[in-house]
Amino acid sequence: MLKMTHLSKVYRTEVVETYALRDFNIDVKEGEFVAVTGPSGSGKTTFLTIAGLLETFTGGEYHLDGIEVSNLNDNARSKIRNEKIGFIFQAFNLIPDLNVFDNIEVPLRYRGMKAAERKQRIMESLERVGLASRAKHYPAELSGGQQQRVAIARALAGSPRLLLADEPTGNLDTQMARGVLELLEEIHRDGATIVMVTHDPELAARAQRNVHIIDGQVVELSEDPRFHSVHAVADGAHG
Amino acid sequence: MFAYYLQLGLRSLRRNPMLTALMVMAVGFGVAASMITWSVFRAVSGDPIPGKSSQLYTVLVDNRGPQYNDNGEPPEALTYTDATALVAAHKAAHQTLFFNVAPSVLPEGNQSLPFIADGYATNADFFNMFEVPFEYGGAWRAGDDDGRAAVAVISHELNQQLFNGANSVGREITMDRHSYRIVGVTAHWDPKPRFYDLFSHNAFGDPVQLYLPFTRAIDVAMDTSGRNNCGSNTDFGVGREAWLHGECVWVPVWVELPDPAAATGYREFLTHYAAEQQRAGRFHWAPNVRLRGVNDWLDYERVVPPESRISLMVALGFFAICMVNTIGLLLAKFMRRAAEIGVRRALGAPRREIYRQFLIEAAAVGLAGGVLGLLLTALGMFGVGLLFEPEIARLAHLDLSLVATTLLVAIAATVLAAFYPTWRAAQVQPAWQLKSN
Amino acid sequence: MQIRPILAAMRHHKAGTVLIALQIALTLAIVCNALFIIQQRITRMSRPSGVSESNLFVIRSDWADKSDTQRIDAQMQADLIALRQLGSVQDAASTNSFPLRGTGWDNYIKLQPDQPRMTTDSAIFFSDDHTLATLGTRLIEGRNFTASEVAAQKPRDAMHAAQVIISKDLARRLFPQGSALGKTIYVSMGQAPSTVIGVTDTLQAHMTGSWAGPYAYNAVLIPARLLNDYTYYLVRAKPGQLEAAMRDAPKALFAQSRMRIIDHKDGVMSFAQVRQRAYERDVGMAILMGIISVVLLAITAAGIVGLTSFWVGQRRKQIGVRRALGATRGDILSYFLTENLLIGIGGVLAGAVLAIGINLWMVTQFEMARLSLAYVVAGVAALLVLGQGAVLAPALRASRVSPVEATRSV
Repeated sequence: MLKMTHLSKVYRTEVVETYALRDFNIDVKEGEFVAVTGPSGSGKTTFLTIAGLLETFTGGEYHLDGIEVSNLNDNARSKIRNEKIGFIFQAFNLIPDLNVFDNIEVPLRYRGMKAAERKQRIMESLERVGLASRAKHYPAELSGGQQQRVAIARALAGSPRLLLADEPTGNLDTQMARGVLELLEEIHRDGATIVMVTHDPELAARAQRNVHIIDGQVVELSEDPRFHSVHAVADGAHG
Repeated sequence: MFAYYLQLGLRSLRRNPMLTALMVMAVGFGVAASMITWSVFRAVSGDPIPGKSSQLYTVLVDNRGPQYNDNGEPPEALTYTDATALVAAHKAAHQTLFFNVAPSVLPEGNQSLPFIADGYATNADFFNMFEVPFEYGGAWRAGDDDGRAAVAVISHELNQQLFNGANSVGREITMDRHSYRIVGVTAHWDPKPRFYDLFSHNAFGDPVQLYLPFTRAIDVAMDTSGRNNCGSNTDFGVGREAWLHGECVWVPVWVELPDPAAATGYREFLTHYAAEQQRAGRFHWAPNVRLRGVNDWLDYERVVPPESRISLMVALGFFAICMVNTIGLLLAKFMRRAAEIGVRRALGAPRREIYRQFLIEAAAVGLAGGVLGLLLTALGMFGVGLLFEPEIARLAHLDLSLVATTLLVAIAATVLAAFYPTWRAAQVQPAWQLKSN
Repeated sequence: MQIRPILAAMRHHKAGTVLIALQIALTLAIVCNALFIIQQRITRMSRPSGVSESNLFVIRSDWADKSDTQRIDAQMQADLIALRQLGSVQDAASTNSFPLRGTGWDNYIKLQPDQPRMTTDSAIFFSDDHTLATLGTRLIEGRNFTASEVAAQKPRDAMHAAQVIISKDLARRLFPQGSALGKTIYVSMGQAPSTVIGVTDTLQAHMTGSWAGPYAYNAVLIPARLLNDYTYYLVRAKPGQLEAAMRDAPKALFAQSRMRIIDHKDGVMSFAQVRQRAYERDVGMAILMGIISVVLLAITAAGIVGLTSFWVGQRRKQIGVRRALGATRGDILSYFLTENLLIGIGGVLAGAVLAIGINLWMVTQFEMARLSLAYVVAGVAALLVLGQGAVLAPALRASRVSPVEATRSV
């Protein structure tokens, strides 16, 4: 699903070159739930922005769903973001001017979907996060946990193959964080690939696989023994 | 998507009403100032006879010589002698001559008071050359010019006043105690600027009310009510006859020449005429003649008031400042939403969608500014009366084309002003985090 | 306050800086020229006419029957007697034209009969022995016409004015050294000389156009009644009786003869109306330029407020950090004021050059004077003050940003 080989990202200023990622290799399989951990400044957020095609990289290769993305232009990258990737931000990043319904509609609009289908998908994803009754509310009228669930609904509405989450519970209290995490697990059981950046070891423990980044390099991969069985169950549920 | 963006735009405009009001006012004032002054300028500088302006020429002959003429230029009209001789020569397809008259008109019935009506003493060619439209009847015939007939053409307005708008062809009109038979009634006719009557400074005067044969007016010794320019060194003797045949200029002459070849031919004829006068001993200088087309003549006589030109330029400068202001405010408004743009980009909006969204938002500002501009323009039209004399002020009016132009200019200018801010907006990178400085 | 860090910060929002500077520059250029135009127009309008304007009015009478000149002559003399006899009227005179009329009769004036070019150009006012008293114009040298000197003049006959009275400015133009009194000048097309018997105080000509600039105060009074298709009567009402006289006079004229036309709209005009008509364009132009200047300054100020508010909003956190690090409110306030001053100075420098450039171009295009530098200096000062005023509100808001903002993430 997501494969980076010898990838590097260099920030150049007039005086120094800073490697944010160096000889970075990772391979996330379809249907995996991966937690990315690492200390502050290790490059985990850079990894996520490159994975989400929000930023370009300096060297190496990146295959997303089998496509080499380094040579794609801005429009093609926008299209992939829109159709294959769902984002869940730490700060929710809901557009304050738009109500819940309109926020979820944003990516669907860019996909050129018909109004009826948009509406159906929005209501479905709102049901799923348990906020169907709040469609007309504005972000400011919701609690942090509710806002994050709206953000998840927005990510889900487009049925992305890959879900990228950056500290999705970082701004939430423990109880809300648990709810959000359960939601992510449910989504994963339905077949989506999830890559989650977090500094919370407890949260990371719930993922199938942990990737640790230090100084821009992957230093440790821990295979989760449950992975195959869960995946098999998920397959079975869908099959 | 258009409706969606329009809706987004309107919502965003509602969010900072102060900033929006500032932009709308800047666009509105800018476009209104430009439109008001432009409508006046358009009126004073327009082509008064679009279909034919390239075929009509005024004829000028230097009867004063290098010592007395106006820096080498012949006087702005002809003497009676030259005017009548050139018209009689019939060397152009059509030729006309005229002078301004202001006879007293006595309406029928004992109760009415006499009044002064402005008119032209001219010939039959005048009407077809200048495309005078008729409501009843028509021009008199060339024979009436030669026969020095007591006939007249009156305007729609005078016909209303004297005959309540009825067909008055064949009825009589009394001017300066003489009676004339009406042969035609013109429809409302008021070309602006009145290019053929610039000699007497009537570019924007009231339309004239009556016409009578030049020959007849001379016979009854009707005096010119227009300009009479005797130059510097002409001792024109005593009495009307001496003045009439002297060297004072007071008769404009126009010829119709269908193509450039005809114009060249006529210029040669004119030079030949002046040479003839030189040979006869009347002119003591080489032929100095001019054939000036309509637009050339309007330029030469500086018909467009400098006030109109200056106001237009100041208004355009004003508009430019309003647009610079709008660029700044749009930039502030758009960049304040950098976070939103980042999210949209992250959610898969390609750059062109960002362009579309923000340009449509700008167009909405432009439209609102245009509507305000329209109101201010309408308001300003009343105010134009303050600025220019009534005869010029009334040229400015709000017609459909001006309404359309106002809205269009407002929207186009705002969208144009929005290009830079929108470009900046589209440069915002897809954002993962709300960045704060 | 250090300027270097401000300049460095400005580099980060180049576009906004340039836009504000550009707006200030253009505004300065246009407002300077607009104010200059206003000043020129007002100067023109406040020129004296040399006429005592209150209580004066004019009547235009067209002869309805265009009868022969002898009858016109008789009628004019009868009209004048009738007018002078009215209780509300102090004096009256007939003329072809008068100061500020706009159109009229002007002749080339020469000092020698065979001179090819004119010495100067002058308005011709046909007058009688009552004209100066009616106008309220003082004679500063020589004497007035006597009744017997006033002759009849047919319009197409050459003028033979043995005596003329001329205006002070014309006298000075024709005879720069010494008095004009008793000198001969040539005022008509003919070869007959006219002797100057009197010189009036300042007296304005009929023409008000800018082309007439050098001749605006040249007037020659000819002792004659012009027997034209129409005549003007200048009438001076007794003090405080202008309205009554303006009502009485036309009635008295119609009582004399009904074969005349006095236009109901502008046949009778007080001199105040005459003046208003003469300077209509100037008033309009001054008002337009005034409106444009005011709106322009308002829009520029609003633009500065808008953009500065945006910057303040953008830099709240940075301001909070500065405050946390010990910057006083005054420091923050003066930061924004200095920033605006620097941008303003850039703008006005460019604007001053532009203002002078526009003026030089206008001088070549229209009959216009050179812009006085005082206007540019005043404009520069005004715009800098305006900019500081406009930036004050957002700067005060910035100074009130709490140091707590430094700790907020958003």
